Order: sequence, then structure tokens, then C-alpha cells
Amino acid sequence: MTTTAPIGAGVPAGTPSPGADSPGTPGRIRRTRPGNGLLFVLPFLTVFALFLVWPVVHGLWMSFTDTSLALRDTSFVGFDNYTEAFGDPDVWSSLGNTALFTALSSVPLVLVALAMALLVHSGLAGQWVWRLAFFAPYLLPVTVVTLIWTWLYQPDLGLGNQLLGRLGLEPVGWLADEAVAMWSVTAVTVWWTVGFNFLLYLAALQSLPTTYDEAAALDGAGAWRRLWSVTLPQLRRTTVLVAMLQVLASLKVFDQIYILTKGGPNGSTRPVLEYVYDVGFTGYRLGYASAVSYLFFALVIIVSIAQLRFFRKEG
Amino acid sequence: MSSSFPARPVRHAPAPGPAHGVTRRGILRSGLAGAGALLATGPLAGCASPASASGASDLSVWDLFQGGDGMLMDEMIDAVSAGPDGFSVDRTILDWGPSYYTKLAMSAAGGRASDVAVLHLSRLAGYAPGGLLDPFDLGLLAEFGVAEEDFTPAVWSRTQHAGTVYAIPLDVHPFIVFYDTEAADKAGLLDPDGALAPMGSPEALLDAGKALADATGQAGILFGHVTDTAQNWRQFAALYAQTGASFTLPDGGPPQIDVDAAVRVVDFMQQLFDGRTNPNNLDYNGAIANFAGGRGGMVMLGEWELPTLKKSGVPLGAAPFPQVFERPAVYTDSHSFVLPHQKNPDPDRRREAHRYIAQIVKQSLTWASAGHIPAYQPVLAEPEYAALKPQSSYADAGEVAVLDPPNWFVGAGSNFQNRMCQPLQAALLGNTSAEKAVRQMVREADSLLRQPNPVA
Repeated sequence: MTTTAPIGAGVPAGTPSPGADSPGTPGRIRRTRPGNGLLFVLPFLTVFALFLVWPVVHGLWMSFTDTSLALRDTSFVGFDNYTEAFGDPDVWSSLGNTALFTALSSVPLVLVALAMALLVHSGLAGQWVWRLAFFAPYLLPVTVVTLIWTWLYQPDLGLGNQLLGRLGLEPVGWLADEAVAMWSVTAVTVWWTVGFNFLLYLAALQSLPTTYDEAAALDGAGAWRRLWSVTLPQLRRTTVLVAMLQVLASLKVFDQIYILTKGGPNGSTRPVLEYVYDVGFTGYRLGYASAVSYLFFALVIIVSIAQLRFFRKEG
Repeated sequence: MSSSFPARPVRHAPAPGPAHGVTRRGILRSGLAGAGALLATGPLAGCASPASASGASDLSVWDLFQGGDGMLMDEMIDAVSAGPDGFSVDRTILDWGPSYYTKLAMSAAGGRASDVAVLHLSRLAGYAPGGLLDPFDLGLLAEFGVAEEDFTPAVWSRTQHAGTVYAIPLDVHPFIVFYDTEAADKAGLLDPDGALAPMGSPEALLDAGKALADATGQAGILFGHVTDTAQNWRQFAALYAQTGASFTLPDGGPPQIDVDAAVRVVDFMQQLFDGRTNPNNLDYNGAIANFAGGRGGMVMLGEWELPTLKKSGVPLGAAPFPQVFERPAVYTDSHSFVLPHQKNPDPDRRREAHRYIAQIVKQSLTWASAGHIPAYQPVLAEPEYAALKPQSSYADAGEVAVLDPPNWFVGAGSNFQNRMCQPLQAALLGNTSAEKAVRQMVREADSLLRQPNPVA
């Protein structure tokens, strides 16, 4: 789950603007020939077209063919791949797993991040220690995170079951039990990535004007009242941002699950992207894998639009 | 994704005046200088690469040997690189598993693959029919002293597709048992020569497990299979082949599996790993760690773990996977050399590739020190090999080798092995019955067989 950089984070908000919209300097506009800036965006456009637009178009084309990784003639198969995908129980179960993971992980990743940010912002002693402790796991690469947790979850020697044993409880098949594995994967993900959302919330909290809070305090509002009625409403925009980024990031889950469980036990943690990888690369069927990934792509777009609508309406 | 957020009005910063900053001429100048630098380094870089004696570039070789195996391969390459006829080898090591096979397939599909590559023999059926491999010239190999007679029939028969040889085996690497010789002695499992005595029946292996558990005071027979994509299948395939039943995957399906025999095997595996004389929920590394830490009498693993276990200090014995059903059979795979497809192969380089493979397989004694059984039989006859302990004690495993049933989707690091392992894991953990697990295995095999074949 490679979380993208916060959007809109680097936009200069209060830069003075003597440029284009300043009426005093019309000469500058006339001196700018159309197409002048093209030279500067050309490298970006080239890379964008080559590595994003072209693969997207080519992938769509492939989803209508029986393209194979092996040397073989490719032929056009129409909607065959899509028909097969709709009838493939593995597509549905892996989509279900992706949805389950998204639901299980997004909620704590927003709420825990908020709780941690509020704790730190409330003036806990030793601020930098908390900030570091909450954010540090996010800096670890996925391989390190999964290695650590594989040992913690180790059925026999792992810390998890050792602790349970000390308490006189039965060992748990953290990654082996179909009913537990998805929760285990979610716990790893929350531990690993919550720091990013925490940082977004903390930054938002620190930029809130203190005046409302002080006014409410003067009016006799208690801490909880001020949190509910003053602070949280002001954090709305951040919550929207965090929630949207989180849902999209969770939908794209692949690497930690692939390393931790390979999608097991019995396919109970296999996300749809792993299925695409399995059929496309280890199974050579690139055409079919493209069709499944386009179905997923359509689903992600629908979710994004729905989210956007929902939050707009709320606003 | 970015477009889904309401854009904030961005105010324009003042445009930089022409007087300061970067000028167009400056960009051109630095661009030209950069291009000049690139041109200048090109030929220099060419000089720096070591060319072989013939003036051709190095022989490119891809393999998946890391760690101890990787170092041994380096040693073997050094050995064949020495002298006036030595090779100049450009070796690329890639990570084992699906990623290696994806890259190998893509490079061959592109027609510009390496001169030589390593392939698990179980993977051949997914590579040769699709045109991803070029055939060997057996006459050329014979010229360099390597021929069909040098390999056991069980392995040689798997090097071909449609009557043509596409692979030259380097080793046979079976799934075997390692045991703690002291614990086995205490449990009364050794023959007068100090080697593990034959078992002969399922009950004998179950009893051995109990006796070993008593001897160590901890676990009897260890087996790491949780979240693993191959281990359960290796064990199942070994035991299933011992029943004498066949497991075939004809194109288009349905799979031909003797369900009764399969249930019998899974049922036995459940008894063997019932959690009483062993923890039945270990993962691969957990099993190794337990055995290396003296917390088990026997461990079922691939022979390639020999170097790791030797370092542990446990008094180590090794034996072929015990025969408990009707006939001997050992699950095996084989690292073999192949010629990945090249669009325009240079005849001289192809000749060199044949000569290289012939030379390397003759270096198999070095390779055997890691635990692998050399596929090249003349090496097995050498006294130095007999002196290798415990390697020589399971050398016969190559003769009763059972590989994956051939089909395009099977083999090392494949979806097939993973999908067979999942129901078996559920059965060993007690989450499902042997019958249900076997039924699911048949279903999974059937659904893989019903897919359109992407290599035909």
C-alpha cells in the first residue's frame, strides 16, 4: 500500500500576485508567445504519455485479446475475458476480500490517527517522542514490516502466542486461521501506515485558529464539548481528505498481504490485485488479467465518485 | 486521483523575467555538453567490459541461486572460467519464485534472453510448448562429453517436449527427512550402520514420531507448512506417489486423481501432524528454527536446507523421504539448464552455451556439497561423492524421483502448487476433513485445467 503524497500540500496559498491578474502590467502578457511553456512541460508530457496514457490504452486493448506471456499469436476475443471474469468465483471472492480489507482498515486508520493527533496536540509531555513513535513505522519498507510481523505472528515461537500462553490462553492461528488472518493483516497495516494520517491530522490541528476554542472555553464549554462542537467540525476538510486517500490506498492493497499470507489461508486474504498478478504473471494470461484489472478500475472510479458526491452533499 | 479534489484557486507567482535565471541558450549549451559527455563515455565503457578471448562479449547466464547455493555456483563458474579455454561469464542472479519465472518468460518472449538460464524441470511444460525455449543440439553436447546415458531415466524423461530435448539437468533436489542422530538412536530408529531404518508402513512412521517425541522430550516430527505455497504439496505428492496411484492433468480436464488414495494420504498426514507429538501449525522458518534448536527429532524439508542445518550443531542424519505406502517414491524437482528463446541466435555463442553447460554439469561435486544430488551420474560414482555425508545417504532418491504432473500451470513457484497447498493446510490445521480437502484439490485442478491454455 504505497500511500500517495497529500494532494494540495505544497500549493502556495498566500503568494502575492502581481502577475497575470494584475492590471498594471499588460506588456508581460503580450510578450509571452503561445506554446512557449510547452517546452517546459514536454518532458513531463512525454513521460506521462509513455508510462501512463499508453499503458492504460494498451491494457484496455489487451483485455479484449488472449495475450499471453509466452510466445504465441494474439487474437481478438471480444468480451470473452469479461464474460469469464464475471463467472469466475475467484474474481468475486478476491473483490470481496479487497472490500473487506478496505472496510476493516479504513475506519481505524482514520479514527486512530485522529485520536493520536488529538493526544499529541493536547499537550502531552515529550511531544517529539510521541510524534516519532507514531510516525516511525510508516518509514519502514514493506519487507521489514512483514518480516517483523511474520515472527510476531509465528504460530509456535511468536510473541503473540507466547503472550497468550502466559495468560493461559489457547494459541491463535494469526495467519493460518481463515477467520483471523484478515484481521491480522489489517492490524499490521494499521500499525504500519497510521502515522501518515496522524501527521495530516496533526498538521491540521496545529493550523487551527485558537480563538474559537478560547471563546467556547470562556462561555463555559468543557473539553469534550469543545472537541465535539469546535475542533472536530473544523477538521472536516482534513477528515474528508484522509478518508478519501485511505479508501483508495486500502483498495490498492497488495504487497503486505502477498508477503504475509500469499493470499491464504484458502484464499481468505487474497485481494483482487493479487489475483490479477497470479493469473497475469505466474499464470501467463495477460489478456484475462487485464480484463479483471479493468473491472477493478471501473469499481475504483465508481467508489471515488460516490465518495466525492457523498462528501460534497454533506458539505 | 488528483482531479477528484476541488481545485483550490491558485494565484500566479510572478513570471521570471528574461534577465535572470535560466536562458534558452544556457539550456541548449548545457544540453549539448551533456550529450557530449554521454557520447564520450560510451566507447570508454565499452573498453572497460572484459571481453572473452574470442572477442565476443560475455556469455550471459541467468539463475536463481542465492545464499550458499549462489556462492557454490560462483565457485563452479570460477572453475570453468580458468585457463585458456575458460569462459567469460556475465551472471545475473534473480529472486527465486514467481518473479524469476515471470522475468524469464518475458525475456524469452522478447527474443533477447540470456544465452543460458536455469529452470526447474517441473516448469518445462509451461515453457517449451510456448516457444520460450530453444532446443538443445545433442550432437554438440556429446562433442563436449555429455550425453543422455549420463542421467537417470526418471529425470531425463522430463527434459523433453514433443521428442525434443529442451533442458539439461544439473541436479535432483528431493524432499527428504533430516533427523537428530542422537534422538533417533534413543528412539531405536537406527539400523546397525547408524542410518535411519526403513519404515514400511504408515503406522511405523506414526510410531517413530511418538518415539522421537519421547526421546527429545519435545516434538517428534516437525513440518513447516503454514502460509507456505509448496511444502504441503511436496509432502502430499511424495506420499500419493507411494500409493501407486497416478495424478494426471490432461488438457481441458477433468483431472485424473484417485480420490480414495488421495484421501488416504491426507488422512495419514492429519494423523502424523495432529498437534500431539508435534506442533502442527508451524511455518517453514518455524520448523527449521525448532529443529535447529533441538526441539524436534526429525524434520521434513528439501535437501537444500542442509547447509543451514549443518550450522545448527544438531548431530545430523538425512534419509530419503520414508516409504510408508506400497512403493518407494520421493517428490523431487530438478534445476536444469535451458536455452531461453533468442530471435537471432549467433551460432558461435550457441556452441559456447552448449560447451559451458557441459563444463558446469561436470563440476557437480562442488554443487553436491550444498546437499543437491548431481544429475550428472559420473559424478555420483566418484569416491569423493561417497565421502560426502549425509549427502550420499539419500543419493538413491533420484531413482524414484516423482516430479509434478506436467502441464503449463504446474511446477516450482506456480499457482498450482499454491492452490493445492491451501486445502491441505486447512486439513492439517484441523479446519476441514480429508475428504473435503481432496474434493477442493480436485475442484481447483479442474478450474485450472478449464482455463484457455496460454502457451499452446
